[in-house]
Amino acid sequence: MPTVVLMDASLSMTRPVSLEQCSEELQRKNLAVAGLTMLFEHMANNYRLEFTSLVAFSSLWELLVPFTRDYNTLQEALSNLEDYDKTCLESALHGVSNVVQQEWGHACPTQVVLVTDGSLGIGKGSLRHSLQTLKGRPEDKKFPLPFPFPAKLFIMCIANAEELQMTDTMHNLEQLLQLNGGDGQIFTMEGQLCLKSVQSMFGRLIDEVYSPFPAVLRCGNLASDVQVFPRPEPVFLDEEIDPMPRHILTDLEIVGFIEIGDISSPPVMSRHLVLPIVVNKEVDDVGPGTTEEPEEETSANQQAGKVPNFCVLLHGSLKVEGMVALVQLGPEWYGMLYSQADSKKKSNLMMSLFEPGPEPLPWLGKVSQLGPISDAAENPYGEDDSKSPFPLQPKIKRSYAQNVTVWIKASGLQTDVQKILRNARKLPEKTQTFYKELNRLRKAALAFGFWELLKGVAELLERECTLLPDTAHPDAAFQLSHAAKQLKLASTGDSQYAAFDQNINPMHTDFSGGGAAGM
Amino acid sequence: MIVIGKCYYFICWLLLTSGPVGVLEEIWSPEKNSHRAEPEMKMFSVSHKTAFVVDHCPYMAESSRQQVECDVLTKSRGQGMIPLAPVSKSLWTCAVECSMEYCRILYDVYPLKKLINYIVSDSEFHILNSWRQEDQSTHELMSALAAVGPPNPQEDPECCSVLHGLVAAVESLCKITEYQHEARTTLMDTADRVANRGRIICLTNAKSDTHVRMLEDCVQETILEQNKMAAGSDRLMSIQQCELVLVHIFPQGEDTLVSDRPKKEVSSLLTSEVHSVRAGRHLATKLNILVQQHFDLASTTITNIPMKEEQHANTSANYDVELLHHRDAHLEFFKSGDLHMAGSTSRDSGLKETVTLKWCTPRTNSVGGSELHYCTGAYRISPTDVNSRPSSCLTNFLLNGRSVLLEQPRKSGSKVISHMLSSHGGEIFLHVLNSTRSTLEDPPSISEGCGGRVTDYRITDFGEFMRENRLTPVPESPDTEASGKPPAERAKAQLERYTRYWPMIISQTTIFNMQAVVPLANLIVKESLSEEDLLTCQKTVYNLVDMERKNDPLPISTVGSRGKGPKRDEQYRIMWNELETLVKTHVAGSERHQRVLDCIIACRSKPPEEEERKKRGRKREDKEDKAEKSINKDSEDKSWQESERLKGALERGKEEQGESEVIKDSPDSPEPLNKKPRLDEIQLPEKAKGPVSLLTMWTNRITVANSRKHQEFAGRISSVNNKAELYQHLKDENGMDLHENGKATR
Repeated sequence: MPTVVLMDASLSMTRPVSLEQCSEELQRKNLAVAGLTMLFEHMANNYRLEFTSLVAFSSLWELLVPFTRDYNTLQEALSNLEDYDKTCLESALHGVSNVVQQEWGHACPTQVVLVTDGSLGIGKGSLRHSLQTLKGRPEDKKFPLPFPFPAKLFIMCIANAEELQMTDTMHNLEQLLQLNGGDGQIFTMEGQLCLKSVQSMFGRLIDEVYSPFPAVLRCGNLASDVQVFPRPEPVFLDEEIDPMPRHILTDLEIVGFIEIGDISSPPVMSRHLVLPIVVNKEVDDVGPGTTEEPEEETSANQQAGKVPNFCVLLHGSLKVEGMVALVQLGPEWYGMLYSQADSKKKSNLMMSLFEPGPEPLPWLGKVSQLGPISDAAENPYGEDDSKSPFPLQPKIKRSYAQNVTVWIKASGLQTDVQKILRNARKLPEKTQTFYKELNRLRKAALAFGFWELLKGVAELLERECTLLPDTAHPDAAFQLSHAAKQLKLASTGDSQYAAFDQNINPMHTDFSGGGAAGM
Repeated sequence: MIVIGKCYYFICWLLLTSGPVGVLEEIWSPEKNSHRAEPEMKMFSVSHKTAFVVDHCPYMAESSRQQVECDVLTKSRGQGMIPLAPVSKSLWTCAVECSMEYCRILYDVYPLKKLINYIVSDSEFHILNSWRQEDQSTHELMSALAAVGPPNPQEDPECCSVLHGLVAAVESLCKITEYQHEARTTLMDTADRVANRGRIICLTNAKSDTHVRMLEDCVQETILEQNKMAAGSDRLMSIQQCELVLVHIFPQGEDTLVSDRPKKEVSSLLTSEVHSVRAGRHLATKLNILVQQHFDLASTTITNIPMKEEQHANTSANYDVELLHHRDAHLEFFKSGDLHMAGSTSRDSGLKETVTLKWCTPRTNSVGGSELHYCTGAYRISPTDVNSRPSSCLTNFLLNGRSVLLEQPRKSGSKVISHMLSSHGGEIFLHVLNSTRSTLEDPPSISEGCGGRVTDYRITDFGEFMRENRLTPVPESPDTEASGKPPAERAKAQLERYTRYWPMIISQTTIFNMQAVVPLANLIVKESLSEEDLLTCQKTVYNLVDMERKNDPLPISTVGSRGKGPKRDEQYRIMWNELETLVKTHVAGSERHQRVLDCIIACRSKPPEEEERKKRGRKREDKEDKAEKSINKDSEDKSWQESERLKGALERGKEEQGESEVIKDSPDSPEPLNKKPRLDEIQLPEKAKGPVSLLTMWTNRITVANSRKHQEFAGRISSVNNKAELYQHLKDENGMDLHENGKATR
């Protein structure tokens, strides 16, 4: 989930903060920079795969750093940030929208961290003005929220809540959040504006949004501590029946294995890297500033690299065998683990989440009904792996898989009639096909109440009978007149002849003895 | 390239494809274009229940006056023959076939949870099916329709009315579906969250606008009436929302007596809309539009499908096929505004909005579909023109197991694969592929992370393990429920059994590197052993005894060993210990499992070794006790039963206990030297099974590692798994290389 940091660079950010204890004069901007520095440092250490970009705005906006994992660059740009004129949030949000769409398209969930002092401009271009004029805008001047991509908006106010509530700023920001579908949060500073309070505010953001997701991956008694990146988002199923969000478990239990060909490019909600980690009790849960000695860290990493890890084993075998592991994420919620290689031949253990539910993939059936092959009487994969129990077949075939009759277009009807006539001319060789096509037409005509057609086709068959060449097999004439007669009977609607499930059967003739039997 | 299989009929097909192109007056209603940002998230929306009410009164027997020439005479035969008079469909036939087409598309795209109740109305109502899922199929409906037959023109028009059907439809909407029932049962206290909404599609021939109003009023009144009744019933649900869609059908060449009217609110419960349509093709188009609107469908036209005619095998022509599917398959286009750019055609289906995607001829090797695409959605499709030749060629091609990638035409000319068509078990899905940059690009390789430097993982063995633990669908039956655990839980239980003792790297194990042990190792993990299995296990043990007697070499890892490695008898001691460890983790399984262990214990005890072992055993036993204590401390969170069971197992094997621990000592010289590096090796999995988790061991290991901050030995720095290989040149002489990721003995 990429992050866009949207930094307010308007003049009001340079307002000094009154500090009693501190002699040095601090601007709100300094506090904002300090907070972001903390965020970037945290990401560099604990969330380094996150792509982050930095956009500064005043009345204009500028992309200072495009999406990157290089947090030094971000930090540098932050420290070189200049001061500009007034705040105009609407155009800045448009900017964010563009930046994200250009890089990630419209499906990628994104996090927008807006850092502002809460003075959102006056007059035209101010947030208040934007919100007042929401309605009745032409299509091309729409307010940028909601974004065309799923986005969470985190508003970091370099101000405390009381300050914002004195004006309508808080109200406006809440409205902004609502426009975004309520996805996000407003953070304010507690107590005095100082370095400590800004750090505690960003600390809360980090805890909620940028803390790694630790989990344990299990396969029976084999297990590994892992980090799942990016953090899996809570999922809503049916807003009406099941309005509570679903979270994935931190205990990821493998249910069993399936061939890649059998799972067959399933649709997934999101993808996550599963990175094995060493759970280090000492270093955990320590705030910022406590950067470990790099030397020590690398030696610890080297050590960890040499300890056999289940993830590596699993990854290697999944890759070699071309399989995926089905993993349970929660009650009636599953995902799959597989080896994912990137262009540079680096490969990794990846986890994709299926949509929650007992049957995420129709071709696998209910996941709870998937059992070990040892339960089956004989190996469903065959002794030589030549078979597979997948995909499951639906109980009822789809229309395109069963020879349905549709006569909406005249051509459909004409084709069906011509098929019958063509086979009629090749009797008795084509007796089976002739009756098959005839019965198909009969069934449809009966269902559609199209008795006129039955009569018409009966007449056509009678005509064919008269047109039979002298060389024709004697059986042909019998079959044709028999079929015509049956169609005519059906066209009366007489239940004896017009039953849907009844078929016209070939007339039983016996020419083997040379005589004309069956008359 | 698709080769049209038995294309015997190609001539007439080609003749017929150039059918008349109609001009349509229908225009997409505005709702079609207002795509919601969010997909439908309510299961019990209006589209959960659809009641079709088709007028079966005498006037519906009237001809639609759209004539179909079904006697197409070919040039060679046509001379001098009077062709058959064209046939024409009645209003009834038109209504039925178009409603069936609506159902066909619906069932293709939503085989489950979108239900249709088909009602026919004349002097009374006839309900042709129920809301039950097994009643939902076109075959079912066709069969019932055949029984009804066309309207009887002789029937007294005075006592016939579509009203009977409308009343029945409202009553039917109050009936609870199995899905609603299930949801209510599961939700219990919050059962009122389960909504009851529905739609009535009425195909009729109305007299006038007043007549239409009368029908609306009747539906409104019936809803109120039925809701009162439903309030006092468990099996009925009151209707919260009902959409009435009235389709007035009139013959071609006549003027309509009823005017079109967009959706309006009759009451808070009922909305109503009126469509006045000519019978025939127009009606078909109307219902096609309606099914798309009602079920959030969208259209995609696959272009440039190369098809060969059998008669002209060396030429191929390109065809287009239109498919319907859930509109979310186009989400990316809607959002990016690429929709119109992607192309919309207005061919013979009129003013129709469709997204064009280009066929990409599949590579021949991608038949198996062994590639895992990053796919963000998969939607069932239904061909618009299901039995046209291009459609059936495409669908048959896909049903045969081939997948086709689809390309999104872009202005820039760049090639973007955005979708894939693929069938799974007789159903065709349109997969949406991710075509934007991935946020997960360039991750650290797994070889750079934890455990990434270890090179002798038992990859092949774990692959074998995965094959044995593949899943298979188990048919739902009362029997499986009686046996307790659902299949998936049994699969997990099997994984648990199979991994009780499973060393991850080759140099940690001897027995799994020995072909001779395979039969026993495969059987012992089973839930229960047959008498025959037991015999095989015992044979395996005898075979090992035999090997020992003959002094056959064992594939003991020489990594980290001193000198020439352990002596032969020591090798066997290590092997037996490991085997015992494996079997011990399973003894609680059954009496036969225990007998396998007994067999091992009985067979391995040899008099000359006995004494030595006892001597050593005593020493070790002390150590063992200590180890056990600390282990138990670590595992307090483990379940009581498990540790009890394991203790029992340990108890039974008490005599040999001292030795089983050797595994972690091995494959070294017998005497304890250099204890420190040994202890932190993950050599405990056999006991780890019960009391110690890998995590604990690992953590211990790291702690130990960190506590030893001293100058490292040169050998250890260059070691693998803390084992430095000495005398590497001797390896070649031994003729065995155990660093490979394979089994030396296999």
